[in-house]
Amino acid sequence: MALDFADKAAIAGVGYTEFSRNSGVSTLTLALRAIMAALEDAGLPPDRLDGIATHRVGDSIPAAIVAQAMGITDLRYFTDHFGGGGSSHAVVGQAALAVASGVADYVVCYRAINARSEFRMGGTGRPAVDSIETQYQAPYGYVAPPQQYAMVASAYMHKYGITERHLGAVALTQRAYAAANERALMRTPITYEDYLASRWVAEPFRLLDCCLETDGAVAILVSSAERARDLAQRPALIRAAAWGGGQTLLSNRQPEPGTSSAARMAPRLFRMAGLTPADIDLAMIYDCFTAAVPLQLEDYGFCAKGEGGDFVLSGATAAGRSLPVNTHGGFLSEGYVHGWNHIAEAVQQLRGAAGARQVAGADIALSTGAPGYVGGVTSALILRRDL
Amino acid sequence: MTDRPVPVPDRDSAPFWDGVHAGELRLQRCGGCGAYRWPARAICNRCHGFEAEWVAVSGRGTVISWIRTHQPFMRAFQDDVPYITIQVQLDEQDDIQMIGRLADPGAQPVIGMRVRADFSDRPLVVWQPLGS
Repeated sequence: MALDFADKAAIAGVGYTEFSRNSGVSTLTLALRAIMAALEDAGLPPDRLDGIATHRVGDSIPAAIVAQAMGITDLRYFTDHFGGGGSSHAVVGQAALAVASGVADYVVCYRAINARSEFRMGGTGRPAVDSIETQYQAPYGYVAPPQQYAMVASAYMHKYGITERHLGAVALTQRAYAAANERALMRTPITYEDYLASRWVAEPFRLLDCCLETDGAVAILVSSAERARDLAQRPALIRAAAWGGGQTLLSNRQPEPGTSSAARMAPRLFRMAGLTPADIDLAMIYDCFTAAVPLQLEDYGFCAKGEGGDFVLSGATAAGRSLPVNTHGGFLSEGYVHGWNHIAEAVQQLRGAAGARQVAGADIALSTGAPGYVGGVTSALILRRDL
Repeated sequence: MTDRPVPVPDRDSAPFWDGVHAGELRLQRCGGCGAYRWPARAICNRCHGFEAEWVAVSGRGTVISWIRTHQPFMRAFQDDVPYITIQVQLDEQDDIQMIGRLADPGAQPVIGMRVRADFSDRPLVVWQPLGS
């Protein structure tokens, strides 16, 4: 049975900036553009906003500054969460709790980053802020997310017989989706040979295993379902939201790198929704790197442990098949806004507004945050088309 | 190279690095339940005891993962790419896992390889294949 919380809150609006390699503007400007786009999408006057929420890792403008810029004089709810992509869906889930409880009426959640032109996750070698592990890892030249996820992938691939054939299938499938997405940064179709020929970044990852460092912002407007129904768009109901206790290799509780924190969280998420993986029509799976997709397909219960690679290779996640995954092209091909463009794409699909890439019968969508290896937390949402 | 980052001990971890300096791999062992803790921290995540003593462990472990970095993520390592980094699981407890490298940077690790801690490159711990 679903929790009382199910379907009480909704996503009423989504807003994007352009995704680019150099926005030429501040993260404050990006945030404001995405927020105004989300309000316009929903048809909500800006003076009705009373909540603001984001997460960041020392790479973006504080939520309070954005609230001030938006002229919110009586801020009834705020979140300025320290964290990366594992926090993305938690920020929206917590806003849902706030509006469902009546603490606030309209909370705009956003992530705004110049992740290519200012703060490159993978390019600067800038170690994570506030991280106790830096002292144990940076002296070995090990600091960047591609290395951290490559280390996970290497153990995972060895244990379960996942190969470059499987990782390549993730990259190809998502690029095929991106071809039909005018927002995507990378739309040229690729072959398996192109994948194999792309340069090594951190073995077992090639360039085409890695997401796109992107400048951009996405904003998600959350309100009660009731209020959302009075706005311009068909609401995407928040059926369930879950938070996962993070395990990193330094947590002293994670002996097996090939299983993520999502494996413990997923049963709770589905219980809260009163649903099972078989009820999910499409999924946005956090694809910071290719290997994260099969790994989470397993951890969320779409297939058995170790079968995620074959699941993707079979074509099951491609357009028109049993579980379309990352229908915008994902972080690998659309752009990487740390989980937020996944939520926005799920909403577009549930509205039936995804254009050439629209999934037929898109009623229930899963969207996932980073699976916890780096930041130590994970989060996910199940969204439902309001009937 | 001189601009490589060196370990910067904090108030919890200083005894670990003192151990490395002395040529020993030392971990906290819980005074309540005997579980090892690493990285250093005040509380046991099993029994929640604050008591702990620093003890030398065998320094033996198994390579459970490895990567080869080609992209020069850090300026100090730009002349070293491609270089290999390994993840070692200690014999004492399967959830204690350290990032490091083999003592011979040119050696190719395999998953399952048995290794022991080596202190020839202090202040870092590096790893030697067992039996070598």
